[in-house]
Amino acid sequence: MIDIRNVHKSFSGFQALNDVSLQIAEGELVALLGPSGSGKTSLLRILAGLEFADSGQVLFDGGDATTVGARDRKVGFVFQHYALFRHMTVFDNVAFGLSVRRGRDRISRADIADRVHYLLTMVQLGGLAARYPSQLSGGQRQRVALARALAIQPRLLLLDEPFGALDARVRKELRRWLRNLHDELKITGVFVTHDQEEALDVADRVVVMNQGRIEQVGTPTEIYDSPATPFVYQFLGNVNALECRIRDGLAEIGSLTLPASAYSGVQDAAGIAFVRPHDLFLSRPGSGSGAPAEVRHVSILGPLVRVELLLDGQTVEAEISRQRHAELAIEVGQTLLLWPRQARFFLRDSWQGTSFNDPERMLEHDI
Amino acid sequence: MRTSPLRDSTPVRLALIILALSVLGLFLVAPLLVVFGEALARGVDAYVAALADPETQFSIRLTVIVAMITVPLDLVIGVSIAWCVAKFDFRGKSLLTTLIDLPFSVSPVIAGLIYVLVFGLHGWLGPILQAHDIHIIFALPGIVLATLFVTFPFIARELIPLMEQQGTEDEEAAVVLGASGWQIFRRVTLPNVKWGLLYGVLLCNARAMGEFGAVSVVSGHIRGRTTTMPLQVEILYDDYNFVAAFAVASVLALLALVTLAVRSVFEWRYARELAAEGRA
Repeated sequence: MIDIRNVHKSFSGFQALNDVSLQIAEGELVALLGPSGSGKTSLLRILAGLEFADSGQVLFDGGDATTVGARDRKVGFVFQHYALFRHMTVFDNVAFGLSVRRGRDRISRADIADRVHYLLTMVQLGGLAARYPSQLSGGQRQRVALARALAIQPRLLLLDEPFGALDARVRKELRRWLRNLHDELKITGVFVTHDQEEALDVADRVVVMNQGRIEQVGTPTEIYDSPATPFVYQFLGNVNALECRIRDGLAEIGSLTLPASAYSGVQDAAGIAFVRPHDLFLSRPGSGSGAPAEVRHVSILGPLVRVELLLDGQTVEAEISRQRHAELAIEVGQTLLLWPRQARFFLRDSWQGTSFNDPERMLEHDI
Repeated sequence: MRTSPLRDSTPVRLALIILALSVLGLFLVAPLLVVFGEALARGVDAYVAALADPETQFSIRLTVIVAMITVPLDLVIGVSIAWCVAKFDFRGKSLLTTLIDLPFSVSPVIAGLIYVLVFGLHGWLGPILQAHDIHIIFALPGIVLATLFVTFPFIARELIPLMEQQGTEDEEAAVVLGASGWQIFRRVTLPNVKWGLLYGVLLCNARAMGEFGAVSVVSGHIRGRTTTMPLQVEILYDDYNFVAAFAVASVLALLALVTLAVRSVFEWRYARELAAEGRA
């Protein structure tokens, strides 16, 4: 188990990590998700022993590893640009971590060869042992880097933007493959990404980071369905951020009034309402509840239709099915009623949020 | 023909090419031809005899000895400096990089004079050295020191940009895999810069063998004892022994040509390796 306790790190005045605490269970695959400059890579490098925390502790299986250097940590690290040794063959790259062992830990050539061939077979590069990195595709290099990191039987595998430099198709394929490999090997892994889809797709648990702090830790479902902070809302997936007033337990988004009972003590304050486009229910005037909004633009995205509406001066995006689109016979300029099945409100400059769920509407899944 | 917005008109291009070629011809190729022409003016026998002269033979030996001492030292110094500057951040780094350029900006004669002032008979350390019967100025150690001063930037200057461009990721990958500092240096850093390093050594060697100014000041021109090849050329020329002077000069010129040829081969190989990495 990895235990990160109150880690601070700054680089010449820039606070990269600000009081970060996180526990990673044995065999877990964790994604550090955040925009650039959020501190995710610094945290990864501190775990690798390539950087050291200014204060705070890092424990590996209960033992203090805070000041242990990278050489003695026994972690596998896959660099964003792979950092393969360009003058060595694939075989020598993978063998490197074993061949540098001296003294008691020395491994015989035959054992090294066995292990390297086993690893290369595992990453499906069996026939390419004699090639040089320059003769491989991006996806193949990535897998060599992974085999090289796994060769030393690390107790923790760290991956820095593992799919960042690959094209979309290879990325998706490799993502599946990494997930399967992880399930097979049961190795504890941490990877850094700025791609929310990647994090939600691959990881057991997602750590959302922003400005050197952890915003939220949770399973992909938890993170997506109940974001804890406005930042997480905006970073994960498409969302409407609407200005609202919060008055005595009610949130007013223009003419749309929703209950926000947690704020019953708030008399009058500025807030933000977050509504996902697919949580917006559209209906013809007179046939349901909601606030009137004018259709500004309609675009068809495969099975979905994105409708841009104007709700009392604020632009709102709704996503509905093709079928619903046909039923409503939507035209630009038309007025429709808008009702959110789910929304979450935050007071301006506050981390606390409260949500609104309409259980009745939740049943009307139109997508 | 493909046209490009950056392409100059044909007459302009032609004029520039002619200008460049004539400057090269006038200032580089013609003198080189003169050197070989004069050296062989009285036939091959005279040329061989001139090179066989004991004093000339000695100057060739001395030059080789000086290069054999200075180049390995330059190699160690240059690689250490480049490693420091390119892979680490520390206080005074910019001062160090400025100091590396000092030999390029100072006249070699000054470099020689500095050593005379420090180690010479009337210099700071002169009396102490005299008392212990240690000869630096007007002897081999002085020549080596002066040559070192002039040549030590070559390898570092060649390596620093290369190492900086390559960054430290490869080294980080190696340390995470459990390699020691020496293993990282020998198995990762050094192979990554080998062509640049060889090229730097070559340049350094050419300069070490060809240095005149600094060596001239510290050597004292003692015939058969402290004359390197460039000094020997001067002495022979002053003696109106043109064939011998140009014969020795032709050996130095050949060295330069070989350096250029090997350099071209390196650059060609090196460019291929860089291109193969797909980093362009």
